[in-house]
Amino acid sequence: MNWIPAFGEPWAWTLLAAVPVVIVLMYFLKLRRVPVEIPSTYLWAKTIEDLHVNSLLQRLRRNLLLFLQLLAVALAAIALFRPGFRDQAEGRQRAVFLLDASASMAAVDGEAGTSRFDEARRRIAERIDTMTDTDSAMLVQFSDRAEVLQPFTSDRERLRAALERARLSRRGADLADALTLVDGLAASPDRRAAPGASTDESSMGGPGKTGGTAGAGENGGPSENGESSENGESSENGGPGGSVPRADLHLFSDGGLPAATELNLANLAPRYHAVGRSEVKNLAITAFSADRSRNRPGKVDVIATVANLGTTDASAPVVLSSGDDLLDASEVELEPGEQTGIAFTLEREDLDRFTLTLESDDPFPLDDRAFAVLAPPRVVNVLLVTPGNDPLELGLTTERAAAICRTETVPPSYLETDAFAARSAAGTDDLIVFDRCRPTRMPRTDTFSIGELPHDGWSWDGEPTTPLVVDFDRTHPLLRYVELYSLLIFRGRALAGPEGFRSLVTADSGPLIAIGERDGYQDLVLGFEIITTEESGGTQANTNWYAERTWPVFVLNVLRTLGGAAEATGGRSFRPGRPVRLRVDATVDEVTIRRDGGERWTSKREPGRGIDFTETGRPGNYHVRSGERTVDAFSVNLFDRRESELATAPEVELGYESVAADVGSESRRREFWRWLLIGMLGVLVAEWWVYSRRVG
Amino acid sequence: MTAETATEPLLSPEFLGKLERMELVSRKIFRGRMKGERISRRKGQSVEFADFRNYVAGDDLRLIDWNLYARLDQLFLKLFREEEDLRFNALIDASDSMNFGDPTKLRVAKQIAGALGYVGLCRADRVRVAALGPDGDRAPTLRGRASLPRMVGYLDSLRAGRNVSLHDGVKRFCALGSGPGITLLVTDLMDKQGYETALRMLVGRRMDVFLVHLLSPAETDPPLQGDRRLIDVEDGEAKEITVTPYVLGRYRKTLEAFIEGAKAFSSRRGIVYLPVRSDQPVEDVVTRYLRERGVVR
Repeated sequence: MNWIPAFGEPWAWTLLAAVPVVIVLMYFLKLRRVPVEIPSTYLWAKTIEDLHVNSLLQRLRRNLLLFLQLLAVALAAIALFRPGFRDQAEGRQRAVFLLDASASMAAVDGEAGTSRFDEARRRIAERIDTMTDTDSAMLVQFSDRAEVLQPFTSDRERLRAALERARLSRRGADLADALTLVDGLAASPDRRAAPGASTDESSMGGPGKTGGTAGAGENGGPSENGESSENGESSENGGPGGSVPRADLHLFSDGGLPAATELNLANLAPRYHAVGRSEVKNLAITAFSADRSRNRPGKVDVIATVANLGTTDASAPVVLSSGDDLLDASEVELEPGEQTGIAFTLEREDLDRFTLTLESDDPFPLDDRAFAVLAPPRVVNVLLVTPGNDPLELGLTTERAAAICRTETVPPSYLETDAFAARSAAGTDDLIVFDRCRPTRMPRTDTFSIGELPHDGWSWDGEPTTPLVVDFDRTHPLLRYVELYSLLIFRGRALAGPEGFRSLVTADSGPLIAIGERDGYQDLVLGFEIITTEESGGTQANTNWYAERTWPVFVLNVLRTLGGAAEATGGRSFRPGRPVRLRVDATVDEVTIRRDGGERWTSKREPGRGIDFTETGRPGNYHVRSGERTVDAFSVNLFDRRESELATAPEVELGYESVAADVGSESRRREFWRWLLIGMLGVLVAEWWVYSRRVG
Repeated sequence: MTAETATEPLLSPEFLGKLERMELVSRKIFRGRMKGERISRRKGQSVEFADFRNYVAGDDLRLIDWNLYARLDQLFLKLFREEEDLRFNALIDASDSMNFGDPTKLRVAKQIAGALGYVGLCRADRVRVAALGPDGDRAPTLRGRASLPRMVGYLDSLRAGRNVSLHDGVKRFCALGSGPGITLLVTDLMDKQGYETALRMLVGRRMDVFLVHLLSPAETDPPLQGDRRLIDVEDGEAKEITVTPYVLGRYRKTLEAFIEGAKAFSSRRGIVYLPVRSDQPVEDVVTRYLRERGVVR
């Protein structure tokens, strides 16, 4: 049994204590006595003679009304203390409530038809109710980013208000990020505010701000300690520099989280409160794309993957539609853990948006719909800077390549002109190919350098040799359908790129073809020339690649991947919440983005940069328009197997610990104040009854 | 407090008829002043035979039973009972406290005193029905049933309000020179100075005292509850009290003790203690209860 006083102010207690005193005083000063004439007070005088002895005690002892009134006041006073008890004794006075707001928490499998998120919030609310004035708690919600809804406070009202602000997202989960943030915040002494205090700010910013987004080092972490000592505040267990007690970390989640094992939760004692069920039915669309058929012009291939990520057998119809048009349907029947592919071929070239719906009655509708778009056909602008390279020009003018690119060929001397500087700065071209030459200043676009390093971030790694290809990355889109073991190169040099560069083709001497990032652009570098200009001025082939079938395929891949032509057919798909760099012509400065059947946004290009779009919180098909023309399209889908695997995990990896679920052992505060008030009303009724019997 | 019902006659003709056949009983021998209809224990001249005794010189020869002398050859005197009158005093407590009940205790007291007074009048006793206090001074001494209207007239004229203590009232009565006889005191005994001296005074005068203790239902079972300010109707004294069942229980015990005290006091001094509730029918009280208790026969 513990008591949570409803009053914090001394005057309130004084007032409360005065009530019974006033009642007793009123009993002695009772003004209203009904006068009655009687024959003689002779006998009454004798009767009350001994009652007058110890009159005070007699009155108190014999007066049922007074007793009842004092009892009623006592019950009311006790009710104000909010008496109750918890099922379990809680250890620490500081607690962090970490609320999983990822997509899987939207699953509706609660007993009362509530979602997991609502259930988690209810359980946090119960915990807040159990807090005493000496407890403090912090509320953090996380999906793929963490957000501090309320820094450490003892004010239960503010915690409840913060809990009300918690919103479910449709994103994945990043537990490690959230734990890093929370562990850092827990290390700082909390600024405990008195209940009702106006503010309780921490360095995270006030409630309502999206304070603690992602960056752990930026918001949480050791800097908190430093700041608190600056403020001269000290925790109850130690002043500045003193140790801060560990806090309880209460994770309310269904456990569908990536493991966060690389963390040392020095300041937290983690507990995992599992929400949801371990037995659940869920069919999910895990992939869905539409593309214009390469082999059959005029047709559209639609491919989807449906997986049974629940724990029971499931079957459901799959319906493909475009807007309101029902296009096709199929049926899937899967055992737990199975997945299947579904393919549709549509002879409708006019369609550019598709929705696939699983008509399943599972508790998680978010993964039962998927979206795909066909991006509008698009032409890639390529600037080829070369002293002359027939194989390359041939590769760029094949039927397939010519359909998606527009090539302008200039000599290397063009690099010195103002015209180049202007178009380089404006990013007019989608791809610039530097054949055996390099610009003085890198353009604002993707580049493809052949036999020359693009900029100073790149270097040669060794002397020119006759390289022998030992490995290449088949998974990279640039090398799709490309087989290179028969490649012969007469002279080439190994490459060393800027940090994070990726070797696509590795020779015995080192990376021969590599790709690296530069300010959001990609630079592809070939460590060998295709055509070598001899000292005599004649040209000679340096490789047999151009004679291989893979050469035009590679050039086409370059156009698709670096030039952005790949998206020209199948629209891109993004996870909810991810920022999207729109693929629009450099000449377009402002676009309108509209989600099918939903909102509309306008986005402007920042000078010298692309157009970014961040409002991708809701799944759906998004169309980018410039004026009347559709210039880009993409879709947002969950496509997250971890979120779709709804079965509640029995344990989660929190830091170095594996924490088992606390299912069913929720600490629940049982309060009695309502019963006390009902009892008080009963006493009042009894008091009134006794009174009316006496007076009436 | 209930106003006295003036419209109804104090004593109904039927009741009076019953009373005419009754007589007052004195447990003591009183020497009457005049010959009355009451058979005295004294021997005297009447038609009722009492006893025989031997003749002694000087006896009235007219009383010798000559038949007996003829048979026994001895002179016996034939004795007859003397018939004489009886002094009957009825004292009514007319204080304000008697003005309670329905009918009021005062009315019941008047009825009882009037009824017994009429019994005395019918037996040619000297009857004086008087209120305690100043009103008692004008009470006539009556004899013969023709005096009934005067007695009733006096009783009707009595009003509550002459608040004299029992002691003072009885003392005043005794000072008027009332001799031995039957004295009926009708009172509620609610006297803060106590009733004992008054009764002692009456007993000291060699009176045959009958004490009718009148209590109204409001006194035996007070209809009070809750917080009350009790005001004594006689002296205005107020008592603040919270009447609870517990207090009521104590009151009843006090009342019982009071009655027992009066009873014990009376029996020790040869006073006939007659507790009467004011809501009992007066006819029943006089013809049955007082007869059973030997006040009348």
